[in-house]
Amino acid sequence: MALALSIFLVITSVLMILLVLLHKGKGSGLSDLFGGGISSNYGGSSVVERNLDRITIVVGGLWFAGVVGLSLVLKG
Amino acid sequence: MLSAFGMAFKTPELRKKIFFTLSIMALFRFGSVIPTPGVSYTNVKQCIDQAQGGGLFGLINLFSGGALLHLSVFALGIMPYITSSIIIQLLTVVIPRFEALKNEGQSGTATLTQYTRYLTIGLAILQSTGLIAVARTPGRLISGCSLPIIPDASWQRILTMIVVMTAGTSVIMWLGELITDRGVGNGMSILIFTSIAAGFPSQLWSIKLQKGLFAFLFVCAVGILVVAAVVFVEQAQRRIPVQYAKRMVGRQAYGGTSTYIPIKVNQAGVIPVIFASSLLYIPSLLVNFTNSQAGWAVWISRNLVRGDHPIYMAAYATLIVFFTYFYVAITFNPDEVADNMKKYGGFIPGIRAGRPTSEYLQYVLSRITAPGALYLALVAIIPILALIVFGASQNFPFGGTAILIVVGVGLDTAKQIESQLQQRSYEGFLK
Repeated sequence: MALALSIFLVITSVLMILLVLLHKGKGSGLSDLFGGGISSNYGGSSVVERNLDRITIVVGGLWFAGVVGLSLVLKG
Repeated sequence: MLSAFGMAFKTPELRKKIFFTLSIMALFRFGSVIPTPGVSYTNVKQCIDQAQGGGLFGLINLFSGGALLHLSVFALGIMPYITSSIIIQLLTVVIPRFEALKNEGQSGTATLTQYTRYLTIGLAILQSTGLIAVARTPGRLISGCSLPIIPDASWQRILTMIVVMTAGTSVIMWLGELITDRGVGNGMSILIFTSIAAGFPSQLWSIKLQKGLFAFLFVCAVGILVVAAVVFVEQAQRRIPVQYAKRMVGRQAYGGTSTYIPIKVNQAGVIPVIFASSLLYIPSLLVNFTNSQAGWAVWISRNLVRGDHPIYMAAYATLIVFFTYFYVAITFNPDEVADNMKKYGGFIPGIRAGRPTSEYLQYVLSRITAPGALYLALVAIIPILALIVFGASQNFPFGGTAILIVVGVGLDTAKQIESQLQQRSYEGFLK
């Protein structure tokens, strides 16, 4: 059980990293980080981005469930 | 001022944005307390209760809001992203291709951001491996505690933990970007703000438990004073007047206005403090990893590891002053500003356009940065002074870096909310 959950968790983790990297980065680095100017971010997100968001949320949920599940299995 | 807050919540889109930001912040805090599978949570909790104090991972732990020592899913916090931004920022000076990308405008910046994100994942893998390697031996992550933090150290378990922590870092990155995109303020800085502010109440309370009510009230009063002083200096700026000549393009008249170039006293923000403290961690890290007993190692652990040592304080202050000048030189280029002004027919009254203007700007900038740099060094040293006066722990709640970041982010976010509010009415928070 623990092994299966571990494998599941590793797969979802790698997927999560890839999905996040697929997103277009918002914000422009460090100068933006601590009191740069006000960055204007107009223009809505495209259909691709919106679908990517949905997939990311679903995978994120699975990842989270995996984390909690494995913790419980290892504890019990 | 209070009515402005009311207005902010009455404006539907702004209200939506604020609630979105708040819920992401809550999600982030929630993930910071969930332990990584394989970590014995009860042992960690006992260890932390036993041993107080920052030690080697003090600053990183501050940035992750206590998540680091708990080895939670979000243990690395925002630190890999900050480090990778710093590296990319420094590389733009060194590597010509990066400089070309930076000058390219929006698309170039997007490429740089993408590089930063890749580097973040790489650093996250490195840091999580290092963190788990340290945590595996009892008594190294939290000194003086012999309970095993990771009971089962088989390689599958370790690998899973590393992968989970790296994924956690990427999730944090995504949460930050979501805030930037759909919430108020800059996501990354808001997440840093969240983790630092999350430490305040418990730290304050521990002062009350240890030193009594009087010290608690005193610390609160000092904290409020320091915040007020920091806000005062952060808002301070010198306005160099610029007059634009009137000119006709086709049938339309442009220019003829007079504006100013604002030069802030603290143009560099908190970045010098972060640079300096990350640099000062390297010697002690080195000693910790090599575990050597040679003369230099002993000297370092005697002089550069303890925060209240005079040599450490002097090195810290010097580095901060140096990095302030360095960072201002990177971000504000007088030649470029003078060139732009010349292009659009602007001039500073009494000074010729072109090279004299750029020299004048350089002169003003270097003079105004001097108090700015000293101010940063002073604020950063406050917690160390508190360490001496009170004997409080090094993570003194109103410590320099923490206050600078919290106030900087707070001011910035308030300004952004205000600018959105002004699309509807002209009354804001900040007069």
